[in-house]
Amino acid sequence: MDPKPNDKRSVLTWIEDRVNLTEIISFLSVFGLLPSELDSRKRVREALGEVMRRPLPSYARWPHVLGILSFILFLFLGLTGTMLAFYYQPTADVAYSSVTLIARDVAFGGLIHQVHYWAAVLFLLVLGARVIRFFFTGLYARGREAIWMVAVLTFVFATIADMTGRLLPWDTAGYWTTIRAREVTDALPILGPITAFLVGGSGLDSLVLTRYYVLHIAVFPLILVLLFYIHFSSVRRVGLSRVDRAPGTRSLRVAMYDLLLLVLFMVGGLITFAVLLPHSFGVVADPFTTPPDAHPPWYLLAPHALMEAFPAFVPKFLRGLIPEIMLAAVLFLPFLDPESGSGTRRRLFRNVGIGVLLLWVVLTVAGWRLEVGR
Amino acid sequence: MSGVAWLLRIAAVVVLAAPVSAQDAPTEAITLPGGHEETKPPARTVPAGAKPKGTSKMCGVCHSEVRVKYEQGAHDREGIGCTSCHGGNADAITVGSAHTGGYRGVPARRAIPALCASCHADVTKMRFYNLPSDQYALYQTSQHGVLLAKGDSNAAVCTDCHGVHEIRPPEDPQSRVFGRNIPSTCGTCHGTPSFQARYKRKDNPVTDYRKGVHGRAYLTGASDTAPECTACHGSHGATPPGVGDVEKVCGQCHETAREYFVGSAHKQAMDDAGIPECAACHHSHNTIAVAPQKISTVCQECHDEGEPPLRVATTLERMIAEASEEIAKADSLVAQAASIPLYVEDYRSRLQDARTALLESAPVTHSLDTTLVEPHTRRARSIAATVSEEVDEKLSSRWWHKVGLGLFWFYLLLTAAIITRARRRAAADSKR
Repeated sequence: MDPKPNDKRSVLTWIEDRVNLTEIISFLSVFGLLPSELDSRKRVREALGEVMRRPLPSYARWPHVLGILSFILFLFLGLTGTMLAFYYQPTADVAYSSVTLIARDVAFGGLIHQVHYWAAVLFLLVLGARVIRFFFTGLYARGREAIWMVAVLTFVFATIADMTGRLLPWDTAGYWTTIRAREVTDALPILGPITAFLVGGSGLDSLVLTRYYVLHIAVFPLILVLLFYIHFSSVRRVGLSRVDRAPGTRSLRVAMYDLLLLVLFMVGGLITFAVLLPHSFGVVADPFTTPPDAHPPWYLLAPHALMEAFPAFVPKFLRGLIPEIMLAAVLFLPFLDPESGSGTRRRLFRNVGIGVLLLWVVLTVAGWRLEVGR
Repeated sequence: MSGVAWLLRIAAVVVLAAPVSAQDAPTEAITLPGGHEETKPPARTVPAGAKPKGTSKMCGVCHSEVRVKYEQGAHDREGIGCTSCHGGNADAITVGSAHTGGYRGVPARRAIPALCASCHADVTKMRFYNLPSDQYALYQTSQHGVLLAKGDSNAAVCTDCHGVHEIRPPEDPQSRVFGRNIPSTCGTCHGTPSFQARYKRKDNPVTDYRKGVHGRAYLTGASDTAPECTACHGSHGATPPGVGDVEKVCGQCHETAREYFVGSAHKQAMDDAGIPECAACHHSHNTIAVAPQKISTVCQECHDEGEPPLRVATTLERMIAEASEEIAKADSLVAQAASIPLYVEDYRSRLQDARTALLESAPVTHSLDTTLVEPHTRRARSIAATVSEEVDEKLSSRWWHKVGLGLFWFYLLLTAAIITRARRRAAADSKR
């Protein structure tokens, strides 16, 4: 773009003459913050004004909100996680004391720590709710297979990322939750060996902590970024869900304000949770003393209870196969039920889905009673 | 290989094979063909693997079962052979000639203590093993010795506790007189109801001991210093302590409690009434630690309700209960602060002081004097109360977090209002 000397001399113009801001901002469309790429030949005001006026359903409002909310939570987790990483030391000797330092001595460290915790809790809940919404509104039908599978995989990888994060404080609860979680995952026939390979055996020592740390801050976030990218780019091809109540009634500018409000209330909610319901700070992990309430994380209680429900003579790999088959069935649901719009079949799948959800809840309660309510 | 090396090899074999001559051999350096030097330590009197003198020798040929047991014991290691106790000729090759020459056969039960004493009461023989030589003298004063002298063949002799041929030293865990094996060794007689009945005793001191605090602490390995039978009764001079001596026995470990007990009204009164002192409240073998909340229950075994002694008991109970409640309260506050987390290391160590003070009050209760107990419980209570107060203040000073949250929400809602307004305008614009 040629510099135009007659233009209004503003700082923005000065910068724009030298840097292609439009293309830089266009990058945001990759993560769903803009519905389409900007025309990078135009100046940023012009290009943004053009795209802002474009009509589109507000994705920062129910029922589309879950997708963008999960992504914003992810960004927030990245932000707070980076702050924590400035002080955290991933070795068994000093991990606990470095977390204590963050929570006790670093200015606002305790708040950042709590917000990171609550953002993780909310992240999983939102992703889970999104999968459930997709299922009950039939949003896995022909054409949306990729979006459904990516949604399921995002939830799965988010739970694994959560699991790796639980070990990092090296406190009793985190340490023993990890031990119990590994007992469940090691019993799985295909995923178990993969986990063992990634972590390097079935032990739990300082080196494993460092590996969990790398998985937590580099590997799984990258996988999640990739999944979000696939999701948002696919949505631009396939379109937002077709059950819109009032499609095309708003412009992107309005949607942006909605997004701003969403971020505002999300941060407000997280800080409120962090202050009023702080996650209790435990004591340092002692590998020689198993606490009586050591239990796997909540999302593993159901598979754990399912595997425990079988009598002892059923081989371990057979028990582990059932949760894996169920996960595969959920992942490949679009191919099991390609005509998700039609009458009786739809009702059948819906009822099966309700059944599976109820079973999940019952098994989770059973797993909890098995471990903690003894 | 050079001839010199061969000679050295032969010399080394000769040195090893001749223990007596090797005793005098000085440290020698052997030069190996490669020029390396190997320093040999002086050979021991009894080289490893070689049999010392005075072992079972020919006796073991016929008495092989005895020999197997005997070789597990300390006597074999020290070269005290069969003939030392049984007489006879250990080098003889026929039964007839072996059982001659002062052959004693199986010693009579009554003669065993004196037989063992022929060496073990001999200072000149025991000195080099650093073993005491007063066991026989002690034994003769013990109930075992007294009854044996009276002709009671049931009374224990040396071999009943130490074993006959397989006599292991007390520090050997397989020994019958190893600390943790002692209750079952004594129990072979005193833990048998028929044996107890013969001496008109209905109790079973061994099973009682196993149930008591001492037995549980010692036999489970929780404590290495808790007493077994001999710690209170003595081993060779084993005798039950009489009424006036119980406090002396218990006081060997429970020094402070004894000090306060001896100074209390209980001492004289109990001795006069023939009550076995410590054992009256704590029992003898099935020892109990009287819990602070059970003090008055135990006192009621002798004293009636409403009497001054029972009032002392309830006062003690109350003082200790108040102190422990205060400590428990401070503990929970400190745990609450630690879960935030706040700095609690100082509070934890101060609470440890409070616990120590409370612990110190326990032996003082034996004085039956509340004014002596009170300083300890007061100290425990006041430390804990101060800690509670300080932690409470720290916890409640976090009120500004909630004020901050309120201010934050005020700002947040204000921002939201501005955004909503802008949004409404934008929506109106886009409709135009």
